[in-house]
This record gives sequence, C-alpha cells and structure tokens, in this order.
Amino acid sequence: MAGPGTCHEDTASERKQTESIYHQVKEFLDKGETLAVATIVSTRGSTPREAGAKMVVTAWGEMLGTIGGGCGEADVKREAIEVIRTRKPRLVRVDLLDDISSDSPAVCGGIMNVFIDPWWKEKEG
Amino acid sequence: MDSLVDELIKIREQGSAAVMATVIEAAEGGRVRPGDKCLIRDGRVQTATIRHEGLLRAVVQEAEARLKEEKSKLVPLEVPDAGAKVEIFFEVMPSPPRLIVVGAGHIAVPLVKFAKIVDFRVSVLDDRMLFANRERFPEADEILVGDMAAMLKGLPITSSTYIVLITRGHKYDELCLREIIHSPAGYIGMIGSRRRIKACFQRFREEEKIGEEIIQKVYAPIGLDINTETPEEIALSILAEIIKVRRGGKARSLSGK
Repeated sequence: MAGPGTCHEDTASERKQTESIYHQVKEFLDKGETLAVATIVSTRGSTPREAGAKMVVTAWGEMLGTIGGGCGEADVKREAIEVIRTRKPRLVRVDLLDDISSDSPAVCGGIMNVFIDPWWKEKEG
Repeated sequence: MDSLVDELIKIREQGSAAVMATVIEAAEGGRVRPGDKCLIRDGRVQTATIRHEGLLRAVVQEAEARLKEEKSKLVPLEVPDAGAKVEIFFEVMPSPPRLIVVGAGHIAVPLVKFAKIVDFRVSVLDDRMLFANRERFPEADEILVGDMAAMLKGLPITSSTYIVLITRGHKYDELCLREIIHSPAGYIGMIGSRRRIKACFQRFREEEKIGEEIIQKVYAPIGLDINTETPEEIALSILAEIIKVRRGGKARSLSGK
C-alpha cells in the first residue's frame, strides 16, 4: 500500500482522468479484455473521495483513475482481480479505520462501500 | 458493453449532462441483478439492462432528482408490483460549465489555460486568425474565427455559460455585449476603464432603452479587486470572479458587486 500523504490528491486532475477514462476502457474492451470498474457508492466518516469516484482495474492489476490512493485502494484492486476472473460483481466494504498496513497519522478514518463491476465487450449494455 | 461505453464517450465529448444508474443490491424475485444498468440523458433512457418497465420508470424519475441536486447517491427503491427491494447507485455526470472568451489577446492566453485547469469547456472567439489559433490556445475546446458579435449570436447560451468580453477595442466589446445582454448567461464580464464603461452603459440606457436591472448584471470593470498588474494576474482575477459567481462567494468585484 502507498504511504502517507496519498489521501488527498488533486481533484481537478483526477476528474481529467475520468474524462478520458471511457476512451481507455473502450480500448481495453475492444482488445477483448475484461475490466473491473470500481465505484465508491457510499461513505461514512472521513474518506479521501466521495461517492461517484471511480477506478478501473485491468486483469493485470493496472489501475486507471483513483478512489483515493493508498487508503484501501490495494484491497479494492485485489477484489477487482477476483471480479474479473469470475465476471460477477461484488460490493466491498473498505474500512479505513483499522488500516494496519499504514500506521501513519495520514490514515483517513472512514468507511467506504465500493461496487466492483465486471465489464467486457459482449456483455449487454 | 459496447453501446454503453460509446454513449459514455459521446456524453463526455458533447459536454451533456447524464445519469448512470447501477443496481448494487437486489432482493430475490425482483427480476433485476446487481450490475444491471440504465443510462439516462435528457430525461430519456439511452441504453438499459434493467428490464423491468416499472422499475425503469422509477429510476428515470429518481435520476432527474439526482441531476438537479448534482450529487451521486445510493438510493433504496422497490421493484413495483414485485415488492422486492433494490439498492441503486445514481452516478451524476453534470454538464461542465462553459466559458466563452471573446477576444484572443494577451489576457485570453492565460485565461484559457486557467479555465481548463478548473474544468471549464472553453471557446475562444476573435476575428483575427493570427490571434485565434491552435498555437496560441492548445487547450481550448473550440476556436472560432469570424465576426465576433455574429458568432456569439449563433452560440447556445445557458445559465451555465460564462462570457468574458476582452476584445482589442471597446467598440467591439460593446457590440458583443449588445448581442448577449438579454441572454440567460450565468455571467457576463467586460473589460475597460470606468469612464468607458460608464459611457457604454449610458448609451445602452438612452439608445437601447435597456433596463437598469439588466445593465447591473454585467460585471464591468471585470475581475476581482486584487490589484492586478500583469495580463496573467488579470486573467486570474477574471476567473476568480467567475468562480465567485458560480459558487456564490463573497469576495469584492471591481464593479462593486
């Protein structure tokens, strides 16, 4: 997991990433890959980003966009790779309260629910 | 996912507002599954894997409310007739604000750069191709060359459109202002000295019979009162004023507003 200081990132540049994220998603899908689209759907307490923040994970664990950096992102990535393998969506609760791997004062302290959805070209939608 | 991704790209490129609704949790018997989706734009369903007609109607209605609030949210709903509970996430994609910069001179260059950083869609207008071009404005979304007042007339202007008049001469600013002063633009700012602005507004009152409440909407002299000296600083004070108007801030404008 990333170290301290990753909780607060520049939101403007993040939104820029989202702006082009679907172009990148299309490229991956066109190559026949399955992706996991992880979206924060609800939060409680202090979290780095709000509901609606998005991150796309590839089968190799490559990440596009961010749902807040070190705080829980690695957990989501691990789950996302499972979602890609099984092609079944899941709802993951990320608890930033007892983030033992990051024993720095920069830990955010909240809880976020992240929906991880598999996307592939032939899937309806 | 083909049509969904294509629609999402189109929405981004056209800068339109949309809502993507995704089923997150669903009780048995509701004929919906987690991951089922619906993309709504202009109050219409663009593409949907949520098949239940009744639920789809409820989702479209809820989407409109979320869009008004400009906030993404997880909402519990019930599948009509089936009575099964569902949790649906509404991802709001609001239309980005649009900045129209009229006049492509030395203030416009930093202004366009700053405006892109804070996520405006930016159009630059001028009648001189030597000034309004890609080399000077690589970040601009649109560069239009031609008669400025005539081009302004043809552009769609809504309450999320912000217009800055900084042409090379007050004569042009005034011609352009005449074209847009009755528009629903969220902001109109015009550069110029207090003396010239006073004279311009006097002509508007006397010759055009434009009401005082309309004239008072114009931010002129343009910008926040931060004692600017360079073109870059002026651009910053203009953009700061636009953000103040958009977000409802209280900092003092040079126009006294």
